[in-house]
Amino acid sequence: MARITKEERRDGIISVALKLFSEKGFYITTIPDIAQKVGMSVGNFYNYFKSKDILAKELVLYISEYIGSRIREINEQDISTEEKIYEIVSMYFNMAQERSEMIEYFLRVYLSNREVFREGCEGMICVSAFVTEMMIFFDEGVESGDLHDQDFFSAFGLFMGYLGGMVFLFGEKILPEPLENYKESISLNIYNALKKR
Amino acid sequence: MHLKKDKKLTILWLQGLTCNGNTHSFLNLSSLSLLLSKFEILHFPAMQTVYTFESISECKLSCDILIFEGTYDPLMKRNNVFLKDILQHYAKGAKYIIAAGSCASFGGMFKASSPERNSGILFNEKEESGPLTEYKEKIINLSGCPIHPEWMGFTLSMLVNKQKVFLDELHRPLELYSSLAHHGCSRNEYFEWKVDAKGFGLKEGCLFYEQGCRAPMTHSSCNKILWNEVSSKTRIGTPCFGCTEPDFPRSALFTTKTNMSIPQDVPLGVSKRSYLTMAGVAKTFHVKRLEGKLIDYKTTS
Amino acid sequence: MITKQLLEQIEGEASVYFDIQNEKVAFATVSFPHFRGMESILEGKNALDSLVITPRVCGICGHAHLMATVRALENAYKNGGYEINLTQKSQKIREFTLLMEMIQNHFKWLYMVIIPELSKLTTLNLENRPLKGAFAASIAAKAIALFGGQWPHSSYMVPGGVTADPTHIELLQAQNYLQELIMFFEKESLGFSLETFLSFESCKEFGGFDSDIVSLEAALMDAQMHQKGFAYDRFFVMGEHGFSKVAKVKSTRTFGVESKYITTQAAYAPQAQSFAKNALYKNAYYETGPLARLMAKGRPFVKNMHRRYKDSAYSRVMARVYEIASMLSYVQNLLKDIEITQDSVTPLVDIKKISAEGVGVVEAPRGPLVHRVKIEDGIIKKYEIITPTQFNIGSSSLEKPTPVQMAMQGLSKEDALFIFRTFDVCSVCTTH
Repeated sequence: MARITKEERRDGIISVALKLFSEKGFYITTIPDIAQKVGMSVGNFYNYFKSKDILAKELVLYISEYIGSRIREINEQDISTEEKIYEIVSMYFNMAQERSEMIEYFLRVYLSNREVFREGCEGMICVSAFVTEMMIFFDEGVESGDLHDQDFFSAFGLFMGYLGGMVFLFGEKILPEPLENYKESISLNIYNALKKR
Repeated sequence: MHLKKDKKLTILWLQGLTCNGNTHSFLNLSSLSLLLSKFEILHFPAMQTVYTFESISECKLSCDILIFEGTYDPLMKRNNVFLKDILQHYAKGAKYIIAAGSCASFGGMFKASSPERNSGILFNEKEESGPLTEYKEKIINLSGCPIHPEWMGFTLSMLVNKQKVFLDELHRPLELYSSLAHHGCSRNEYFEWKVDAKGFGLKEGCLFYEQGCRAPMTHSSCNKILWNEVSSKTRIGTPCFGCTEPDFPRSALFTTKTNMSIPQDVPLGVSKRSYLTMAGVAKTFHVKRLEGKLIDYKTTS
Repeated sequence: MITKQLLEQIEGEASVYFDIQNEKVAFATVSFPHFRGMESILEGKNALDSLVITPRVCGICGHAHLMATVRALENAYKNGGYEINLTQKSQKIREFTLLMEMIQNHFKWLYMVIIPELSKLTTLNLENRPLKGAFAASIAAKAIALFGGQWPHSSYMVPGGVTADPTHIELLQAQNYLQELIMFFEKESLGFSLETFLSFESCKEFGGFDSDIVSLEAALMDAQMHQKGFAYDRFFVMGEHGFSKVAKVKSTRTFGVESKYITTQAAYAPQAQSFAKNALYKNAYYETGPLARLMAKGRPFVKNMHRRYKDSAYSRVMARVYEIASMLSYVQNLLKDIEITQDSVTPLVDIKKISAEGVGVVEAPRGPLVHRVKIEDGIIKKYEIITPTQFNIGSSSLEKPTPVQMAMQGLSKEDALFIFRTFDVCSVCTTH
């Protein structure tokens, strides 16, 4: 029988923790809850994550790296800016369905329990892997003449706020159609809003 | 036994289309008379020398070191003789050729006078297509607008001492141009912590993000070997304009080109991702000491 | 028969074409063969780019161009509806660096051009040490760099003030360099103190002293320069500064002037193509520079000299020497008055909001320098530069000669060439 590596163990904890935190809430979920679900002792758990707060921040970094590397792959493709927007939206909506615990954690724990993240995740440092990739996307979009030059946060807020809002509605089961059906219209709206006049 | 003294190296300073800034900068060299005494100056436009320009333009002489200042214009005449003929004549016989300034190195300011035909003596901006490409092994480019007198002093001293001057791919001496204008700027801490200057006129704040400072992208020693032995542009609040680089002069100076608030150009050799990640972290933390004025004359009394 | 004389040792290139009759210059024209097109290079550029481009018109007086540019831009702001109030501090710093550039120019002209040229015309002993001029200039340049960052080619003046934010350290260092320069001037050039020189009412008071300046004065007399080189005996000062008085002077009477009356016309240079233009005031030729500035101020030393020797080459040379002293004294007081706690820059709206015309005039070493700019939404539509050498060293026809042409008439070629130099030609400025 193949031994599970430390890395795989860690990923296992992350996966379980994300689910539990987003389903039950950050404060209600305890370390013993997570350890039990993973199948390890609490003592062993602390070998991987020293505290619940540290785990909370590591989860944000994990999600940010994950989304960041997906967006980087898209950035590096030789496709148009309009197509990149579609790819990013598509990737995000796919994640919302296939790795929903990640998006759920981000919306329902990270954005909603700011006090947990005040120290060690100041500002945007824990999400920098993903924010940097969005910056690269915008920079190249303006450089190539496809996007209108404007303040970064105006554009970022439009893009991410829009996606986050749609995923939230999806999570609440308010959207009448499957999330994929919205990819085209959302991408087009974003492109029309950001493109060069 | 009578030892024969080594004959002094001869210098000929020739000018193309120039403002004379490099000549006047060179005259500021503090050890000027000592340096000049090591050479025989055949011709230097600012002073009475062995030969007048009239004699030089007859193209009957030769020199060891040819210094060329100014943009090369193939149609330019000096004393009714084509400059290109004068240049070719002296370049052929010279042991070393020094391009004094960005105009002579890359085309510089006055390439714009006739952009289709003007260039430096070896490079036309970044392209190696100037009039003296066949002599490229003996060409040293001292780019800068103007050159710092110490750069010329250094180069001439190295030549007279018969020491090899190591050059970069643009033929600029590595010992002068391998560092960046950014190294030694008195505002470095503001750069590190991304405390940007708002407007002009204060000693606090970094000029990179909004005021168009090119120092992190410019090869020079301006903040190491200070100008006039006392200062530099960035120290007194003027952004570096990148005058030692082939793309000088750029446009929209005094402002930083950004795409959605992201600087278009980041420090040399640093990837945009790395820069943005670092900048993001630095911007998050507010260092109180760096936020106010260093000296508050009003409350300190 | 027309003979051509290439001028050596000037910024750029110029040739004088002499029509010699009976070994005397009957008439001479001047041609400046090179052209860089700075005015068209500026068209289409962002307005602030001019602060970097115009200093590169000239390597020895680029700082004057910088100030003319910033004044033109500030004037455009004003005409565009935004009044600019410069602090005393930024005005004084600007004036300080402008004057230090003027002083370095005069030192170089004196030791690297005038003394060597004059020594050819006299049997009297004139010690020829050109590097003295370069050395003095380098100290002045240090003082400039304390505020401007570097010299040549600083761009530290911006609309609203200056980029520099000095402390008392820089002020004291500047005072020290200034003292060093004054002591050099007193010891190496004058042979007496600066105050003593400024107290003289005429060169007769030189008697008994021995120095470069005393020898210079004696050599000028020996070469009869007090009886040669006369032009129109009318002068013109346009740049408004603490040290200058804006006026035109006609036989010692002063009158008001306005920059709108300055016009240019193509030079008359039949022997060779010349890219220079002549500059006139109300369609007449005027002399500009140190003699003009000192006449406008009515300094006794210069007035007395002028009473005896009018606008001879002697007056022109001695006036410039006197101006070094007068400026050194002036900047000493200027530095003392700088109030560090004032703002360096008065904040302004973005220049992209400006669509207007502006004029900037400064006194450059050789006289008034005029920059006229037209901006539309912060972009330069038109730029015009008129330099002082265009006033002094234009080239026109016999019926209405320019100041230098008049000054050279009736003299031997050797004398005429020296007379030419007394106007301090800057050919790169002239043909920008």
